Amino acid sequence: MNLVFYILRRLAISVPILFIGSFLVFLMVAGAGDPLAEIRNQPNINPESIAALSHQLGLDKPLVPRYFDWLGGFLTGDWGISIAQGSAMEPVYPKIMNAFWVTFRLIIGAEILALILGIAVGVLAAVRQYTTIDYVATTLAFLFFSMPIFCVAIILKTYAIDINIVVNQLGWSDVLGNPFLRTTSPESLRADGVGDFVVTYIGAFLLPTLSIMFISFAAYSRFQRSSMLETLNMDYVRTARAKGLSGRRVIFRHAFRNAMIPVTTLFSVNFASVITGAIITERVFNWNGMGTVLVEAVNKNDPNVMMGWVVVIAIAVVLANLVADLLYGILDPRIRVG
Amino acid sequence: MRRSKAVSALSLVAASALVLSACGGGGGGEGDSNTGSTVDVKSMAEGKAQQGDEFQLADVPESEPVTVAIDEGFSAYNNKTADANSSYNNYVLVPVITGPFVLDGNNKVLLNKDVMESVTVTSEKPYTVEWKMKPGVKWSDGAPWGCEDFYLAWLAGSGAEGFNAASTTGYELMDNPTCKDDLTFEATFTEPYIDYKGLFSDVALLPAHVLEEQTGISDITKVKPSDKQAVKKAADFWANGWKGFKPDLMPASGPYKIKSFDQNADTVVLEKNPEWIGAKGGPSEVTIRAIPDTKAMATALQNGEIDVAASTQPDDTAANTMKNLASQGVNYGSAPQLTFEHFDLNYNRLFGDEAARKAFFQVVNREEIVSKLLKGVQSDIQPLNSIVFFEGEDGYQDLYSDKTNQGAEAAMKTLEAGGWKKGPDGIYQKNGKRFSVAISHNENERRSRTVEIVQSQARAAGMEIKDDTDPNFLKGRVDKGDYDIALFGWSSAPFKAEQKSIYITGGGQNWQGLSDPKIDQAFDKATSATNAEEATKHYQAADEALANQYATMPLFATPSMWGFRGIDRVYMQSYNGVLWNVGEWERTD
Amino acid sequence: MNSLVTRAQSGDEPPIKDGEPDVTALPEPRSQGALVLRKFLRHKLAMASVGVLLLIALVALILPIFWPHSYWDASFPSYEPPSGDYPLGTTQVGKDMVSQILRGTQFSLLIALTVAIVATLIGVVFGALAGYLRGIVDSAVSRLTDLFLIVPQLAAAAILVKVFSGSWWVVAIVLALFGWMPIARITRAEAMSLSQREFVEAARASGAGTMRIVFKHLVPNMVGTITVNATLAVAQAVLAEAALSFIGLGVKPPDTSLGRVISDNYAQMTGRPWLFFGPFVVLVLISLSINFIGDGLRDAFDPRQRRVKA
Repeated sequence: MNLVFYILRRLAISVPILFIGSFLVFLMVAGAGDPLAEIRNQPNINPESIAALSHQLGLDKPLVPRYFDWLGGFLTGDWGISIAQGSAMEPVYPKIMNAFWVTFRLIIGAEILALILGIAVGVLAAVRQYTTIDYVATTLAFLFFSMPIFCVAIILKTYAIDINIVVNQLGWSDVLGNPFLRTTSPESLRADGVGDFVVTYIGAFLLPTLSIMFISFAAYSRFQRSSMLETLNMDYVRTARAKGLSGRRVIFRHAFRNAMIPVTTLFSVNFASVITGAIITERVFNWNGMGTVLVEAVNKNDPNVMMGWVVVIAIAVVLANLVADLLYGILDPRIRVG
Repeated sequence: MRRSKAVSALSLVAASALVLSACGGGGGGEGDSNTGSTVDVKSMAEGKAQQGDEFQLADVPESEPVTVAIDEGFSAYNNKTADANSSYNNYVLVPVITGPFVLDGNNKVLLNKDVMESVTVTSEKPYTVEWKMKPGVKWSDGAPWGCEDFYLAWLAGSGAEGFNAASTTGYELMDNPTCKDDLTFEATFTEPYIDYKGLFSDVALLPAHVLEEQTGISDITKVKPSDKQAVKKAADFWANGWKGFKPDLMPASGPYKIKSFDQNADTVVLEKNPEWIGAKGGPSEVTIRAIPDTKAMATALQNGEIDVAASTQPDDTAANTMKNLASQGVNYGSAPQLTFEHFDLNYNRLFGDEAARKAFFQVVNREEIVSKLLKGVQSDIQPLNSIVFFEGEDGYQDLYSDKTNQGAEAAMKTLEAGGWKKGPDGIYQKNGKRFSVAISHNENERRSRTVEIVQSQARAAGMEIKDDTDPNFLKGRVDKGDYDIALFGWSSAPFKAEQKSIYITGGGQNWQGLSDPKIDQAFDKATSATNAEEATKHYQAADEALANQYATMPLFATPSMWGFRGIDRVYMQSYNGVLWNVGEWERTD
Repeated sequence: MNSLVTRAQSGDEPPIKDGEPDVTALPEPRSQGALVLRKFLRHKLAMASVGVLLLIALVALILPIFWPHSYWDASFPSYEPPSGDYPLGTTQVGKDMVSQILRGTQFSLLIALTVAIVATLIGVVFGALAGYLRGIVDSAVSRLTDLFLIVPQLAAAAILVKVFSGSWWVVAIVLALFGWMPIARITRAEAMSLSQREFVEAARASGAGTMRIVFKHLVPNMVGTITVNATLAVAQAVLAEAALSFIGLGVKPPDTSLGRVISDNYAQMTGRPWLFFGPFVVLVLISLSINFIGDGLRDAFDPRQRRVKA
């Protein structure tokens, strides 16, 4: 019961933040210019249809009522329409939700891989502190950590074409498909049968997943290493060792579990920066996810799309933070949430 | 010819939404594609079975599905509404919605013999045109295609209340057209309209029977624009009923129909239309995807993810990528589009000073811009030397070669003669005002690089140029005259008359504050001329007067570029993209 | 009650639950400075990084004076391969790549430093006040932090940089405005624990005002944490600016930044690798050395860490 209260209270605190945040973003977006300007610039355009469109969109209203109109619509599932030229008044809700799904499934895969790899390498580096393994892991982590993600993505993309050529030359393309690695999104790919489906989608997901993974991996492995070191130096671990427990047993039974706590929570806390990584990666690999939607909406000055985007991401970040705190409580029995 | 082109002559050519219009007498689309590819792309500009002024799809074997990439996604079945209108919808719909005329790669207007008997001017006074359809043409849902579809397109374009048509040009001149029978549409024009061939041909003929079923109107051809209630019903459906993807409401009259449309993935799949009256061959399915980055498009072609890459955004690196794939069977083509890039100087700011305009012209070396940025795309590209005419059109004359690229020395002399003095920072000044101007443009890599080159050229002559990249520049700034120098593209005017409002005193698109009686008079004479020859003469005079004003510097006609593999012939048509003859593509692998 | 300290960016420390203050920097003012310096000087990797960074900065500042080609000069042929005249070739518009890298380095460093300084200032002021005053100020600052955290920095920057279309400092200010939150959280936690200490009590008893206590007593005692996080913020800002350039919202020509140079030339990676790898290597070196310096500083400030890392 306590937990439910805790969750409810956390969510209740978030509501005003989301409210104020969405209003501020609304002002920002409204300040970005006249969304109908491009339609207005067409010659022979009937001024009445522009006026009608403007009225339909509520652009003739003052800002505050317009915001509440938007908010009302948003809460009832009507997120307005896209009004960029050529968008044919596409509804925003399905557009954003679909893009979010595209981004989400990309992030989740990449983050799980990054987490597994990051924890494994971090533990190894801590246990074997100041050995070659530690130095290699540290160097790699620092290197990925110091590279702009778009460079990682572009390098992967560029050399993928050569890898495909090698795959073809080795005659593996019968199994792996031709091309095996794809540089564009997996939408509308044809696949015959389960095997083909799996291979095709692996080929399409591999590169963007790797680019997001490398960057996160760098943070996770460093994090895990230092928290593992800290745990290994704790009294109870030393005591366990002194009592004669084997090194492996100590590491996995005692140190590992506790050392994992911070990293596991970091996984959720890291969410906003991972989204940033995904925005860039999607641009490189031409995926129709949140990144593409944002850049297009900004370039086309499409207010409803921008609003929907920001609020969905904001809600996702709030939920991720909540999950982080809950996980913290679950993993660490000493901390009681609520 | 295609005056009814949705967004017409005076629209802006933005990086993302290229809007098209037509040229007057054809001839604009010339230009050897000179590409270094293994085949002669130029010869692909014609349909396989076209003869004289008539087009028919050639009969070829049915082949494997193909994937085609274009710059932006498809959004709507009805491309004629103001909110949906985009050339990318047009690219996708050309094989889906048929029309009386077809344009080949050379922009030659051809009667569509698959669906039409004839289109004739039956009387000069009053100007009357008769469209005769071929019997037996059907929509993919089995309903007959015919006069009522023409009538609906007219009603929507006539300006009747409620239809939010992107353009009414041409249609509003028709005085109560009628269906003489199911297959004959006749219209009398209130004034001669020699570009009648452009009407109904730009994916404008939507299924009237669907609209009738959905609105309960029993016969659309009985609905007059004055019939408020029925018009409102029809207009509501026309404007909103064809949004999204509803396969039942979206039949095809052309060789392909829409199989699926994933709006969120920016992907459309077309399949063969079983009811299509003409030749039944060609790729069994066509997947059309949007890849906004031209370089990424070229990479996808290189990697074998797509079969055809077609871009309106020329890019040197992408062009090289595709050309270098010749050994792997990729063919590359490029042709000038009917849009031109230019600098507009704003008279209400620093460029009100004639010496400043003249000096800026003199210092800009357009050859350098063209050769650094576009030679790789179209090897024979040259700067454009006229504002009113495209190269190859009757009336084209070189008016800008001797005004530009005169070197920094000449420019500085002009400035000094005009009372400008070099300031302590090396930048010229006059009356305490520094020669510091910004070039404003939207987000577009080619335009940013144009600015970089001009910055360097101008700096040598003591002029400071700033870069003003603003994604919203073409949406709300350019039309308020909020710039020193505007860098954007005009699509060409089908009727030179439409250029008038850009350049005459107080003209609707005269955002730069240009005012010259010579230009005004020349345009006036030209637009009231009674024959083409006389009009051309006056347009030339206007063109010359414009050049003498140093008001607008044409840079180049923007080329399109495309590459393809495993298909016998693909030509990117200036308005309709690559799919205008997809029904006669044959696989070569 | 509110969420965890986001130290994802700083990379190396476990997150800390609010109210469970992190005590990394103990207030031992006199002896500590010397100890920290000694520890840092013995940190070989960090010292090497300082050398690399100084070298890059000096070259970027001094070499342009002597370099024959100007950063704005596009009069050279396009895509010249590397030669004596153009050691890293020329770009498409005909600019010398070395001059672009030099100019880009200047701006990348300038932007990154500005971002780090502004973000640190905002973060420290907010964090220290919230941690010391608690109560309503603390709640307000915490809510404000939450508010700024819900929008990813890149998205906010994309919208704002476009609205205030602009020069390098617009880019810098916008990045800083959406980058101060982690520092505020860390500072807050530390200020909270320090404000329980005797020397703060003593200051308060002797009648010092809030401002005096916070800025004369608290902040100097948090200098370790602040320095480490400010350093890491510089590295983050270099990358953030690059990302912004990649989506087309960075500095405008003729000025340039490393991010812009790289994103202008990435397509040449296979055909003319020098155009991509030249600026790329410089950017990675800068960001790598700053990260190493931050790591070295952290070790130096960490009283628990007795052994100096090789």
